[in-house]
Amino acid sequence: MSQELFDRFSSPGVSRRGLLGGMLGGAVAATANLTGLDVLQQPALADTLKRNDRRVILLWLAGGASQLETWDPKPGRPTGGPFRAIQTNVPGVQISELMPKMSQRLQHTAIIRSLNTKIGDHGGGARLMHLGRRDESNLRLPDLGAMLARELSDPRSLAPDYVTYYTATEGRGNAVGQAGFLGSRFAPMFLTTEAQPENLSRLTAITATEDQRRAEMRSLLSQRFAAERQTGAVGSHDEAYARVRNLMAGEKLFDISDEPQAIRDLYGPTLFGKQALVARRLIEAGTPFVKISRAWWDSHGQNFETHLELVTELDNVMAALLDDLKARGLLESTLVVTLSEFGRTPNINASLGRDHFAKAWSTSLTGCGIQGGSVYGKTDPDGHTVADGEIGAAELFATIFEALGIDPQKEYHVGSRPVPLTDIGTLPVTEVLA
Amino acid sequence: MTRLALVTVILFPLVVPGFSKASELLPADRPLAEVVDHYVSQKLRDAKVEPAAAADDATIIRRLTLDLAGRIPTAAEAQSYVASTDPEKKAGLVERLIDSDAYARHQANEFDAFLMADMNASLRDYLLTAFQEGRGWDQIFREVVIADQLSEAKAAAEFVKRRAKDADKLANDVSVMFFGVNVSCAKCHDHPLVAEWTQDHFYGMKSFFSRTFENGDFIGERDYGVVKFKTTDGDEKTAKPMLLSGAIVDEPESAEPTAEEKKKEKELLEKLKKDKQPPPPPKYSRRAQLAEAGLQAADREYFSRAIVNRLWYRLFGHGLVMPIDQMHPENEPSHPQLLQWLARDLQNHDYDLTRLVRGLVLSDAYARTSRWAGDARPRPDLFAVAAVRPLTPHQYATSLRLAVRSPARFSGDVSGDEVTSRIASVENGARSLANQFDQPGENFQVSVTEALMLSNNEKVTNELLRDAGDSLVGDLKTLDEPQRAVETAAWNVLTRELTEDERRLLTDFFVGQGDDRLTASRQLVWSLLTSSELRFNY
Amino acid sequence: MSNPQNLKVVKEQQQTGILFSLARVPGESRLFVGASDANIYDLDVMAEKPEPAALSGHESYVTGTVLAGDQLISSAYDGRLMWWDIETRQTIRSVPAHQRWIRELAVTPDGRQVISVADDMVCRVWDAADGSLLHELRGHAPQTPHHFPSMLYTCAVSPDGRFLATGDRVGHNVIWELKTGQSIATVETPTMYTWDPKQRIHSIGGVRSLAFSPDSTYLAVGGIGQIGNIDHLGGPARVEVFDWKKNERTYELADDKFKGLVERLAFHPNSDWLLAAGGDHGGFIQFYDLETGKAIRQEKAPMHVHDLALSPQADEIYAVGHGKIVVWQLAAEAEAAAAAG
Repeated sequence: MSQELFDRFSSPGVSRRGLLGGMLGGAVAATANLTGLDVLQQPALADTLKRNDRRVILLWLAGGASQLETWDPKPGRPTGGPFRAIQTNVPGVQISELMPKMSQRLQHTAIIRSLNTKIGDHGGGARLMHLGRRDESNLRLPDLGAMLARELSDPRSLAPDYVTYYTATEGRGNAVGQAGFLGSRFAPMFLTTEAQPENLSRLTAITATEDQRRAEMRSLLSQRFAAERQTGAVGSHDEAYARVRNLMAGEKLFDISDEPQAIRDLYGPTLFGKQALVARRLIEAGTPFVKISRAWWDSHGQNFETHLELVTELDNVMAALLDDLKARGLLESTLVVTLSEFGRTPNINASLGRDHFAKAWSTSLTGCGIQGGSVYGKTDPDGHTVADGEIGAAELFATIFEALGIDPQKEYHVGSRPVPLTDIGTLPVTEVLA
Repeated sequence: MTRLALVTVILFPLVVPGFSKASELLPADRPLAEVVDHYVSQKLRDAKVEPAAAADDATIIRRLTLDLAGRIPTAAEAQSYVASTDPEKKAGLVERLIDSDAYARHQANEFDAFLMADMNASLRDYLLTAFQEGRGWDQIFREVVIADQLSEAKAAAEFVKRRAKDADKLANDVSVMFFGVNVSCAKCHDHPLVAEWTQDHFYGMKSFFSRTFENGDFIGERDYGVVKFKTTDGDEKTAKPMLLSGAIVDEPESAEPTAEEKKKEKELLEKLKKDKQPPPPPKYSRRAQLAEAGLQAADREYFSRAIVNRLWYRLFGHGLVMPIDQMHPENEPSHPQLLQWLARDLQNHDYDLTRLVRGLVLSDAYARTSRWAGDARPRPDLFAVAAVRPLTPHQYATSLRLAVRSPARFSGDVSGDEVTSRIASVENGARSLANQFDQPGENFQVSVTEALMLSNNEKVTNELLRDAGDSLVGDLKTLDEPQRAVETAAWNVLTRELTEDERRLLTDFFVGQGDDRLTASRQLVWSLLTSSELRFNY
Repeated sequence: MSNPQNLKVVKEQQQTGILFSLARVPGESRLFVGASDANIYDLDVMAEKPEPAALSGHESYVTGTVLAGDQLISSAYDGRLMWWDIETRQTIRSVPAHQRWIRELAVTPDGRQVISVADDMVCRVWDAADGSLLHELRGHAPQTPHHFPSMLYTCAVSPDGRFLATGDRVGHNVIWELKTGQSIATVETPTMYTWDPKQRIHSIGGVRSLAFSPDSTYLAVGGIGQIGNIDHLGGPARVEVFDWKKNERTYELADDKFKGLVERLAFHPNSDWLLAAGGDHGGFIQFYDLETGKAIRQEKAPMHVHDLALSPQADEIYAVGHGKIVVWQLAAEAEAAAAAG
């Protein structure tokens, strides 16, 4: 079934599996150093790779960041809260004063202020914003990361395809990525550590030679077993272990102590900053999708103090990330997204908090394929409803796909059933696309 | 006791896919395994495909033990089976396995994973009792759907309770899991593939669950309430409780309560919540109606075929209808008459799943080798060659843990009861490891997370490669003869005799590790444990 | 005579918005109330139908209002101090005082100096008469130990006018000599700062109120205890009392009766009791016996209380908070009846 599924993906150019099969046989023995990033030049692959240099970093603001304290301030209104709006470097566009650095870097960013996603509980909201559509009970849908890993991964890259960080424990279960019917091949490497993944370092009890030898024997036995039993699932087993070898060889990717102090200072000392720096290292090495989760924004009490902490950090980390990507020439090919499961209520409660609010909130898209400085949609003066340009999760996903040069209506086939990347008929927000 | 459902109004033609007249089927009294082979062989002949040979004995006992007891055999079990010259040894093994306690436990694990996938809850205790008592699938269906919190089967209520907040999911899960049909496509528009299926079907199924609600630790059901939906033409329509066949359940009029009555109801529910008591049962339960009506006429066909197909899929790695949740009229089964015969047999035998399982595993089709030496592997729906099936988390974790125990723990020198109890304890100890693995579904692929864990996790590898008196590694390091160490390890992990080639290869590897026998033993066991062979039921 | 046992709401006035501060004209029920709509409202709260008059000029939440003679001085999150003529309600002066939000304002007993604290973590002492800067007091770290911006929430002047206390986000409190601007003691209340390193990875809490005892010996520090789920103000309202010169904690007042922040503290003029008020989604007002350190009276307030003024005889409490102004009386029944008559 799996083989059939993949054959029907009909991706242009080379087939991923063919490449992997060819490459990984050698990769087991090779101890490639990923940090060198010397991707072999094979002209035959050029077309396939053209799109494969696109990358995505999702800054997942778990718990629900307030649109009013970030991208859609309402200064002077009863719902506006105490923060001012500040002028950005894009004429006519203001954002919260909590984002002074981003205010001077908005030329690469599009703001969407008109999300109405309707689901106001953490679990349901997070799933919707991960899948781009409602769950189906008997179709395990892939999430954004898995779809993008499938669409953008570079067959020759030794870097992982989909990496997720979620270190805080609150809400972690809501934000787990899933590859669904795309299969575990595209499931995230789900990391809860500060930087270095679990189970990546060689066991202390064995030597490198021993580790290498047993891996070779394991692979040999497996290939003998698979010789007359070629099916997708069997192939994936040996492939998973081959990927372990690659990941172990690229262990340094997750180690930011390699970075110059100036770069580390740029990202700052917080966990979020460190992980964003790992994200940059990963996408630089060829990982197409990295999600850095910053939890937990659920400010039912003391919304303004919480946002003073967390937006200040977001502003710093996001600005550092964009500057760093730009300096390396990666911003054009990298899409940086900020997203939550929902926004927060315009009304301020007695604990000076804001509650869950999915009816009118904001997101930002920066870099690859994006019309920088654009603002799409608007909310009413107090932010209670979307006044113009209402979109949902599906349209946002379609916009992300389109920005990366992927047809949002491209279909996968699950058995006989076609499943498009986004729900049938969904249109991207072309106004924010370059 | 609920009233018998009145299924009177039929708005839609009875649609049952690929239905033959009973007279065209093989007689009902033919042995089940024989019927399987009759129809499978017929199709192979038509397709001009020569099926693969029968699997060898070591493969058969491994396959059967995994499928019926949820684990690999011990080295002793495998050796004794291979050595036996009893012509009836396979039938005897099947009976022994089905009679074992492990059979019910395995069924409970598998059905729990199926019915409660992603629900963060378990039906295992209920299912274990149900399978231990040999309850029919119809009874399990009734107990799960009726979810009577005052009955002995109250543990079954977890199925509905966990989904009570979401009637859409509840309706679709019941359709998929018990009737083999995914109606969610018909939610927003009429089904794109099945002309007969309209929004009425989706909202009709939903109507059976729309009165269900959560109240504290319990679920309740109201006597009133309707499902309204917007048709594709934009009209508002009130759904009638409708089964997948199109049969509509007639029901007494139900008036909306007054505001005063609603207030009273709310107060009562609040009080019951506080007192941790279940809400009173409704005078008329739509869920109970579904439990009755779903087992009648055309819907009974859906019901029986769905479970036949599900178990066939589990044992053969490919359903008679694929995908297994798309058993709709326009999705032809690969073997229509076989599916029909098996469904009829199930109905005639009190929905006894064990009878079905026994028949399937005794067929020749089940017993083929998974090797295919020819050019292209034949289409899976011909069942010409055995599928290579990923182990489920429980199967894999239990097998890993069993494979690393000293063979002496389960040898012929230990009493049968003691062996059984030791195996049960290994199975029990493997539960937390099982939670680390993914449940395989269609298009399953092994995750890199799993491979990382089995490669580099200190805790897991320390446990599996433990040097102790009761562990395989502990045994191996004391064996003088490298070849014996290799053979012992292979029997324990792969549960088969090595080929000459393999013996040489592994012995060289073992000797090549140097003088440190402990390290060499660990290297050997790890290579075998993590090889693809242990990961699959082949 | 004032007695917490007689505590009774005598007025509950709705007022749109969040009310962060109040100043009461001595001997009258005329109040100046700082609000979230950037206005200050001048109203007679005991009037049958109070008619608030707005003093407009600030650009963000008004967080401090104090009276110095016939001048009103206010502070706001816009970083400015404003001087007002309370008769004409005209602006006299507007001073850019801090780079960040001004959290609170205090005035010396003689009305000659005004003290402001802000999130730039500086405390500034101003001449109330001409608005000139007298001292800049720096003793609070701009960042928390976890690399987030800190906040300087509160300040208080001792009744003898000699000392000034300031308290911040992480529970660090500094006592200053007002005349010289020198820091002379510190008091730590780390329990009032909850850093959650694991579940949510940010913080909540802070010292929200300070008060010196009538003889200036004791310093009461108010805030909230450790919080499990920092999404909510779900920790116990907390007061710690220090003999600050000895750096000794004499009382730790925290029980399970109320959750939330202690936003204001006030000592009875004879030290009979200590009053603490604040809230979470709701509000509370509590009285502690200073002999025993036990609560004498703990009541729900009609709203989360942000500021209050205790009358010199301690028989009346005027309080503002979330959408309401409330007046309590503490007089015995007979006295209260007589007063009403």
